[in-house]
Amino acid sequence: MTAYLVTILILVCIAIILGLALNLQWGLCGMVNFGMAGFFALGAYAAALVALSGAGTLAGIVVAALICAATCGATALVSLRLSDEYLAILTLGFGEVIRLVTLSESWLTGGSLGLPGIPRPLWGWVSEQNYELLFLALLVVVVLALFLVLEVLIRSPFGRAVRAVREDDTVASTLGKNVTMLRVKAFAVGGAIIGIAGAFHAYYLTYVDPSQFSAIITAYTFMAVIAGGRGSNKGLLFGAATIMCLIEGSRFLKDIVQVLDATQLASIRLILIGLGLILFLIYRPQGFLLEYRLRSSSLLARSSLNGATRMHDFKQEAS
Amino acid sequence: MKCHNRIDLRPSRRAVLSGAATAGAALLAAPFIARAQAAEIPIGVLLPFTGSQGAYGPDMRKAAEITTKLINDAGGILGGRSFKLFFEDDESSPTAGLAATKKLLEIHKCQAVIGIWGSPIAMAIKNVLIQANTCMMVSGAANAITDGDTKGLVWRYQAKATDWGPGMAKAMLSRGWKRVSILAQQNPFVIPMIEPAKKVFEAAGGQVVDSVVYNPDQPSYRAEVQRIFGASNPPEAVMCLGLLTDFVSIVREVVRNGYKSKVMALSIAADAEGKFIQAVGPDVAEGIEHFQPSPPLGSPTYARFQKLMGADENALFLFAGNTHDQVCTLALAMEKTKSTDSPVFTKAIREVCNPPGEVVGDVVEALKKVRAGSKIAFAGAGSDCDFDERGDQLNRHFGHFRIEKGKQVLVQVIKGPEGTL
Amino acid sequence: MIAQVVLNGFITGMIIALPAIALTLTYGILKFPNFAIGAMLTAGAYLAFICNSILQLPLLLSAAIAAVGLAATVVIVDRLVFSPLRERTTITLLVASMGVSFVLENMARFAFGNSARSFEAPIVRSMHIMGLRINFEQIVTAATALAGMLAVYVILRHTPLGRAMRAVADNPALAAVRGIDRERIVRWMWVIVGVLTAAAGVLAGLDRAIDPLLGWNYVVTVFAAAILGGLGNPLGAVLGALTLGVVEETSTLVIPPNYRQVVSFFAIAILLLLRPQGLLGTVRVKK
Repeated sequence: MTAYLVTILILVCIAIILGLALNLQWGLCGMVNFGMAGFFALGAYAAALVALSGAGTLAGIVVAALICAATCGATALVSLRLSDEYLAILTLGFGEVIRLVTLSESWLTGGSLGLPGIPRPLWGWVSEQNYELLFLALLVVVVLALFLVLEVLIRSPFGRAVRAVREDDTVASTLGKNVTMLRVKAFAVGGAIIGIAGAFHAYYLTYVDPSQFSAIITAYTFMAVIAGGRGSNKGLLFGAATIMCLIEGSRFLKDIVQVLDATQLASIRLILIGLGLILFLIYRPQGFLLEYRLRSSSLLARSSLNGATRMHDFKQEAS
Repeated sequence: MKCHNRIDLRPSRRAVLSGAATAGAALLAAPFIARAQAAEIPIGVLLPFTGSQGAYGPDMRKAAEITTKLINDAGGILGGRSFKLFFEDDESSPTAGLAATKKLLEIHKCQAVIGIWGSPIAMAIKNVLIQANTCMMVSGAANAITDGDTKGLVWRYQAKATDWGPGMAKAMLSRGWKRVSILAQQNPFVIPMIEPAKKVFEAAGGQVVDSVVYNPDQPSYRAEVQRIFGASNPPEAVMCLGLLTDFVSIVREVVRNGYKSKVMALSIAADAEGKFIQAVGPDVAEGIEHFQPSPPLGSPTYARFQKLMGADENALFLFAGNTHDQVCTLALAMEKTKSTDSPVFTKAIREVCNPPGEVVGDVVEALKKVRAGSKIAFAGAGSDCDFDERGDQLNRHFGHFRIEKGKQVLVQVIKGPEGTL
Repeated sequence: MIAQVVLNGFITGMIIALPAIALTLTYGILKFPNFAIGAMLTAGAYLAFICNSILQLPLLLSAAIAAVGLAATVVIVDRLVFSPLRERTTITLLVASMGVSFVLENMARFAFGNSARSFEAPIVRSMHIMGLRINFEQIVTAATALAGMLAVYVILRHTPLGRAMRAVADNPALAAVRGIDRERIVRWMWVIVGVLTAAAGVLAGLDRAIDPLLGWNYVVTVFAAAILGGLGNPLGAVLGALTLGVVEETSTLVIPPNYRQVVSFFAIAILLLLRPQGLLGTVRVKK
């Protein structure tokens, strides 16, 4: 039982890291990333290749983060002039390209056979039986660190400026903000986080292949962010856990229902996931928790705040 | 659950020490519920029911259920204990397969995980099962599954991918086709077949004109078909290595355009337990030839299996038979070693399967013989069930078929590479 | 050879054009990209399959019933799912359509399993016209797609309904002031979407085989076509679809076929960089 829970928690942690990235890119900056699965794959393969080359698992994580940050930044740069929907398709297409490359360039990625035998971080520190617990502990530390960094980032001048860009980029730019750089930077930081998630996924499975990175990952991540309340990192912790419980919990459903055949049960499971998502959107639109906001009192107390943020917060306060 | 297992083990140890009477007393003394639960041996069956491989799961599930019922109805194993199956959907995805495997291990305490159709899924869960000292029986063909230190826990009920290619090439050469092209899906068990197949063609003075690899889940395969079949000097035959859905599209395109090259496909696509002919109709399917590691056609075990599955003697079960064999060999090895502990009973798999020994196909009869202490060589409904020390199957038969008037006609049986037993 | 490939690309584009029009109509009026378009296409194919193979009706009649059935289905889906979310953000609706996609696709799987099915229509050998191979399905596809496009054109340009639709798409507030009932327009829009998508589903089912992932395989291409043409512009969607079809098929002459989807992606990326509003899209003023 414990080991099963540990597995679920590890998957939840990876989902949370992905969600944090999407929450930064989409929640905070309003930039849709439909290529989550592709960037996730990029991170996983990068980490796998570096770790397999013997450079160490830490180097793998760093390289994965850098590569994903670079590609995300480049995508944001390319799509500067485009509105949300076009960025969506550009990232979706980019995800497809990565999938096709991992599938076709077998000299590098092993093609559809994938890359087995990826080393794991801190392997050998504890006994094999307890390793997953250690891995979970490591992941929890990473999640907490990322969480804190992002919370600080959101409250920093950078975070406020980024949100100002999300609400109205024209106003932000007239106030002297370099909208281009803000968007590119924010998207790149999000990319780095996706890369880290990819690296941990690769290390946990010790095996990567193209079928692990289907578009369903993007869907699940969006579900987690929406369930948690877009823009709220704390809510995301609940959101990701809820989605995972829905996905894994529905496995137990079929242990109870006995009349249907396996394919039918499996499809009912996915129907329930879809229905759950729709009902959530309709009946719990704000998610579990609201986005972090400055209270007007603290706002007035700080006279040095820039106008864009003030305007944004007043607007939200008013609405 | 763990403590129930202990309660269960204690009587059997005493039985060895102080005779049957004490054992009976101990059994009576054990609480009724604990005994009932301990009597069941949980076995995990991981299969694809959704996603791109979803078509292959249901028959294997049926086979596992039928075989288990057969064994349980005949009194089970280890003195009255029965198998209890737990099915999980791997969603054709390694990550989902991994989570499902953990559930099978941790929640249901499965003593072995069987089924396991897709090679990527087998690769993703292999380490978990080895680490948990749990036996794993796969139906995937990718060579890498049995690589590395498996602690003797990984058993493949399928021919290795690299063995398929040469066999298929030989079958095509035997039909006099020397100028061929290859049209293959990017997929982990198909890709390793291509190079060995090419070598066989070249060694026999043949020529591989062109080869194209396509991605699964494309909206259309027109361009690929055009390039291979519509070439200015078309090949005599095309080796089509794909799965059911893409093969249906490809064949329709070929027939529609009146291309003349012969088609040699994998049975997994061109028969797919009858679903291919059902999908395209007998006219379109006419004359297509297909090839695959086949069940021991004509053997009494296979004939009985067809009947059990409720099918006629024409039905070709490519994977369901292997699932049947997985359940059977599990039962036999457990009975032989009197243990449900994977590291222990897996040691006996080769002993109950490989020759020398009396060839037995009926699992109930085989169990009786094992109990009586005689040496048997179990022959299954999916294969003869002979294994090398890595857990790979030996002496696989490959069936070469042709579709005539909506029926499978056996052209020939080709023997796979023989190993030393 | 090149002419043949271009022709094939054209036909592939024709199949994509119908759902691309549907996608672009939804986007124009409800302002969200309907991710469930693939699953709706699958549902249309299965509805026709029920009529054709199970009830033994002729294919044409089956297709008509499927069109009506799917139109009714999507109107109900709109009533239950999209209408309560009408005033929410684009992305909320998009994610909701993901949920719808899950439900529809798996209902098909629940009812028919995963194996590939086909309509009961004989495969007819192709004809040779001026050295080109043209087959019956291709003619049917072209005819249906053209008829669909023409119908949409006539409805949008020459009927009161079409004028109202364009008004709602351009400026919902102004349309409301003029007394146009938006919900009625939205319902009719879904009816058109249902009919077009069902037709595409039948054509796709004829072209390959019917399985629960049928529509899913088209989703990326359909999105790409609609965006290439400029989201919200039906004529653009047609052009986008045909361009994609031809570019993808002809690219296979020079690059490995498995990379052709990359080609269409790069085509989109380049086009969007040069013309951020798409082929025929007009520059939209934000806010």
